[in-house]
Amino acid sequence: MTKTRIFLLIFFTLYLAVIVKLFFIQILNPRGSDTAYLTTRKIYPERGKIFDRNGLPLVVNKTSFLLYAEPKKIPDHEYFINKIDSVLHIGESTLEAKLDKTKDWVSLKTNLSEDIKEKILDLKLPGVGFTDGFQRYYPESSLSAHLLGFVGKNTRGEDLGYFGIEGYYNKDLVGLPGILKSDRDLLGKPILMGTQQKLNPENGRDLYLTIDKSIQEIAKSKLREGLEIYDAKEGCIIIANPQTLEVLALVCLPDFDQERYFTFSEEFFKDPAISNLYEPGSTFKPLIMAAALEEKSIKADDFYNEKGPVKIGEYTIKTWNDKYEGRISMSRIIEKSSNVGMVHIGQKLGNIKLYTYLKKFGFDQITGIDLQGEVTDKLRPRSNWYPIDYATVSFGQGIAITPVQMVMAFSSLINGGKLLKPYIVQQINSPGEEKFIKSEMLGTPISEKTSDYIKKMLLSAVENGELKWAKPKGYKIGGKTGTAQIPIKGHYDPSKTVASFIGFAPVDNPKFLALVILREPQSSPWGSETAAPLFFEIAKELLVYYNIAPD
Amino acid sequence: MTSINKFLFWILGVALILTNVYVFIHSINSSNKINFYEQQIKTLHTENIKLENKVFGLDSLRYAASMAAKLNFNQEAQPVFLDNLIYARSQ
Repeated sequence: MTKTRIFLLIFFTLYLAVIVKLFFIQILNPRGSDTAYLTTRKIYPERGKIFDRNGLPLVVNKTSFLLYAEPKKIPDHEYFINKIDSVLHIGESTLEAKLDKTKDWVSLKTNLSEDIKEKILDLKLPGVGFTDGFQRYYPESSLSAHLLGFVGKNTRGEDLGYFGIEGYYNKDLVGLPGILKSDRDLLGKPILMGTQQKLNPENGRDLYLTIDKSIQEIAKSKLREGLEIYDAKEGCIIIANPQTLEVLALVCLPDFDQERYFTFSEEFFKDPAISNLYEPGSTFKPLIMAAALEEKSIKADDFYNEKGPVKIGEYTIKTWNDKYEGRISMSRIIEKSSNVGMVHIGQKLGNIKLYTYLKKFGFDQITGIDLQGEVTDKLRPRSNWYPIDYATVSFGQGIAITPVQMVMAFSSLINGGKLLKPYIVQQINSPGEEKFIKSEMLGTPISEKTSDYIKKMLLSAVENGELKWAKPKGYKIGGKTGTAQIPIKGHYDPSKTVASFIGFAPVDNPKFLALVILREPQSSPWGSETAAPLFFEIAKELLVYYNIAPD
Repeated sequence: MTSINKFLFWILGVALILTNVYVFIHSINSSNKINFYEQQIKTLHTENIKLENKVFGLDSLRYAASMAAKLNFNQEAQPVFLDNLIYARSQ
């Protein structure tokens, strides 16, 4: 055998050995290829976006970065902390606490913008890196802070929605992460002959709301003006379509900045429209009137003799101005907001039926609106009710409800008697699937005939009310004022009131219903002088927005 | 015959080596391309999101309000002639 042949034989033998070994590694025992070159990377999904009813964005995502450090690769920790803090400004002691020298990887800060990332990269520090992620971006700033809620973190550092839509629909919005398993070389480039497995992430579902961004803007700007003019502590406005109970706008002030929610205390996060209870006062009267008409305890053309104050046990009930007009119609009771008249109506209806109607109108349970944080004040059992309780509830005191419960119940008075569930999300979109959410009927507390009577009474209340408001000319607008004293430690404080007005237009075929609530207005305690004018300012804008022609 | 066999073995050997080298270089180039396109996709996706958000911002009511205030396009800019008829009367 020549030297060449020996050399060739050795070469072929070695080559054969390599082929056999590769055969064993890749074909017979593929799991053995999970070497140190295999990198597993989580692919974070994009959180679902939230749009208004016209497809305009309310919440979208923007890229953000998580800054991490590898403490074991940092030669000079003090220098590192000093340099990083010159950019981040979170405090050197905070950074020192995070930089655990025993750990391989620590997270320093999340939700960093690209500018901050560039500044840190310019420092050229060893042991530092970034991972990509997403952060919420609100094109309209805090226009709908309470409505939308915000996205924070859970105990595992994962995104979690809190309050409002973000909280209620968190499971739909969060999506599912993907995974990428790839053999990479030392430079991070893929090794083609190795493992390449990818499971695509499933992005969160997009939500389309019933909210109209323009109406939300109208409501918020008017509420802001109203709080300033009437010097009120807080306020809420809810605007809905009474035929379907789609919520068109929901705003409460004071609110918070969703992008910097962590700088606000927790008391700002609760949405007063669904989480705060208030005594509705005279805005409750049409509900009791409707119940009495429905039960035929009274007729629309009946009269009541308003002689003077009424005694219930040791309590005396008077009208708000202590003036009595003698023989008045049922409609006049609503027009002048007569408490004694309503006590009479309540007594004609009867205690059992009055209590039943409170439940029929939905005051004994939450409305089920799709916002996180809704509460209710369950009605006390009838056995705990005293005669004075039945008397006061007939004019809206001694009962605590949420603003959204008021909107739900009042809508049934003006839409032909249908008690509908209020809702905010009308469509949920995922790739290849669209889910539509429709109006849901909960009951029919009153008939269409009773609804017509009540609408006429509410129109009359606006036309012939005690105060002449700056109403838009040529339009039929119905509504009711409310002024309720605030109970403090079992007693009513006469100087503190919740002023409200609930109204709708046009009366014949209501396109919108709006509830305005102002808490502790200082300029005047009366709803007729604070909440009512604010309602009419909003109504003017809505009549133009909806192109509603005068009657 | 022997010389033909020798020659064929050499050719085969060289061909195998060259093929091996070619596949190796090609796989490195492909990895580079994959890496490059992965980075490109990521960059384009980030750029896309940035531009989309810029459009949303420009389309927002907040931006419109700020531009209206900047250009003084508000109710105060409405003509006052109807409230003050001296211009009409001066004819």
